[in-house]
Amino acid sequence: MKLAKSVYLLTVVLTLSSALVGCKKGLNRTTSIPGQREGAIADGGPSQPRDLGQGGVIPPLNRGNETGVTPVNTGPGFDTTKDGGGIAAAHDDKFTGWIENRDEFANQTVHFDFDKSNIKPGEVGKLETVARKMKESFKGKALRIEGHCDERGTEEYNRALGDRRAVSIREKLVQLGLDPEMLPTITFGEEKPADPGHDDAAWKKNRRGELILLSPPGSN
Amino acid sequence: MNKLSTLTVFAILAMMLSAAIAPLGAADDERYSITKSKDALGFLKPVPVNVSGFTGEADSVLKNDLLFMGVQHVPIDQAQYMITGSASGRVEGRLTDKPTKGILLNKAYNGGSTRQQIHAFADDIARALTGLPGIAQTKMTFKAEKGVGRSEIYIADFDGFGSQAVTSDNTIVARPEWRGRDMLVYTSYKLGSPRIFSHHLSSGARNPIAQHPGGNYSAAVSPDGSKVAMILSKGGSPDLYVANIDGSGLKQLTKTRESESAPCWSPDGRMICYGSRERGASLLFTLPASGGSPRVLSTTGAPTPTEPDWSPDGKWVAFTSQTRTFQICIVPANGGTGGDAIVLTEGEDPSWAPNSRALLFCRGLDHAKQLSLLDVPTKQVKTLGRILESNSQPSWAK
Repeated sequence: MKLAKSVYLLTVVLTLSSALVGCKKGLNRTTSIPGQREGAIADGGPSQPRDLGQGGVIPPLNRGNETGVTPVNTGPGFDTTKDGGGIAAAHDDKFTGWIENRDEFANQTVHFDFDKSNIKPGEVGKLETVARKMKESFKGKALRIEGHCDERGTEEYNRALGDRRAVSIREKLVQLGLDPEMLPTITFGEEKPADPGHDDAAWKKNRRGELILLSPPGSN
Repeated sequence: MNKLSTLTVFAILAMMLSAAIAPLGAADDERYSITKSKDALGFLKPVPVNVSGFTGEADSVLKNDLLFMGVQHVPIDQAQYMITGSASGRVEGRLTDKPTKGILLNKAYNGGSTRQQIHAFADDIARALTGLPGIAQTKMTFKAEKGVGRSEIYIADFDGFGSQAVTSDNTIVARPEWRGRDMLVYTSYKLGSPRIFSHHLSSGARNPIAQHPGGNYSAAVSPDGSKVAMILSKGGSPDLYVANIDGSGLKQLTKTRESESAPCWSPDGRMICYGSRERGASLLFTLPASGGSPRVLSTTGAPTPTEPDWSPDGKWVAFTSQTRTFQICIVPANGGTGGDAIVLTEGEDPSWAPNSRALLFCRGLDHAKQLSLLDVPTKQVKTLGRILESNSQPSWAK
């Protein structure tokens, strides 16, 4: 019995001492790196687009409703017609599938001064031409207004400035008698320069608003 | 005999235990109190350490990690602390106070890659020496352009390693931000006009947050993840709005004729800082997230400030100033310096690290930008490897 106890104690001591020898080597604690999927993140360098979901392909963007997400609620008493005195924007979903004509008003691209969104007096004539043609020849058609910037300015600043430029053109066209509901706007900020250069000449061309004629599907 | 042996055994045990534990327990020992000296702006001065025993990638990753956490590798005679260890098999490392030889940290790491183990060791060192949160195991997200008008959202380690595409939509995407560790919020032109979506990383589920008429962009997720601030032009001009993270409960915060841009949140979620052209050239403003009067955030010496990012400790707002070039600047969030901005380095669109010390930003000509890391107090910069043609709009996971 006593012998057995000694053997037991000896075993305990041996186990502990070997553990302590391990500690003496210099380790008080081993830290596990939690939850990393090895291979998924560990490999360096440029990676190919890969699936981050469970399915094989990245799921398509959906337009809501079927996803169980609460439909966007503008809140009680929220009057979009009074926002800063602007004209409520037109939804581009309405023009999905409409046929684009970028040539019709290519010569009427409106240019802007650096960091400005107002329509210069010298540019108004272009919009008068556009408004007249829309009324005379393109009844039932729409006009998409694309706002662009030069590269001077940070990306999101330019996205807002391009938006403001598109809105300025739209306001002028409404003033000239066009239906705001047929004038969707889109900002590209500095994403799509007309000239890829990095000088004054290129920047001047890139600060612009392009007008794209949209025809309903099946029309000509 | 038996009694004696029992006693001997206990005595040996006690000796071994005390001998073994004393130095190992030193990490929590007040004897090695760490002197933290601060610079004129209140940032911790870099703690001089000497790193030895590591080679190749382990060595460079460790030194790089430490640099952006306020711990700098220096020659041994200038070092205050010694970092020794090895990365053969697994990472084992020790942090020692040089004058007293007291051990502050003594650890081994398993699991993951050597790189991940080194990151974990670096975080432990930084926490022990600076008291700031570790950033070596954090992630970032950014926009990678593969051609004009075609970009994708990527995620990567904070140092640019292990980048992965999150989207493959072949359209324009912009301004990704984290919501927690498993969700991104970003702008995509996939459905035509710019709209804001959430993207759950592990399931891949994507849902719209804002798809109103006109533009929907520049989403900023509140620190608690419950809300989003963004720019919408549904009302006929780009204005600042907030909504719940699912897009419900929309509230308009500004009503100006000119454009607002690029909001960010204060770390307590009470304030929003954003850019506005309300008074002509861009200025930064702050206003309560629940609505109220905007106040100018003065950035003297740094004209046309845009794209603010509020530091997690609440002290600083980093932003981009533009003259002929872009400059990364910081200004105290609540006065201080009399509104004088501090110009740090050439670059744009800064994003704070969780330690309120390092910044990620981008630099370069349009459509050929590269991401870089910046240690704010020392102004040291490290340029990261480029994915595709142009990388911009980094956002650090916090």
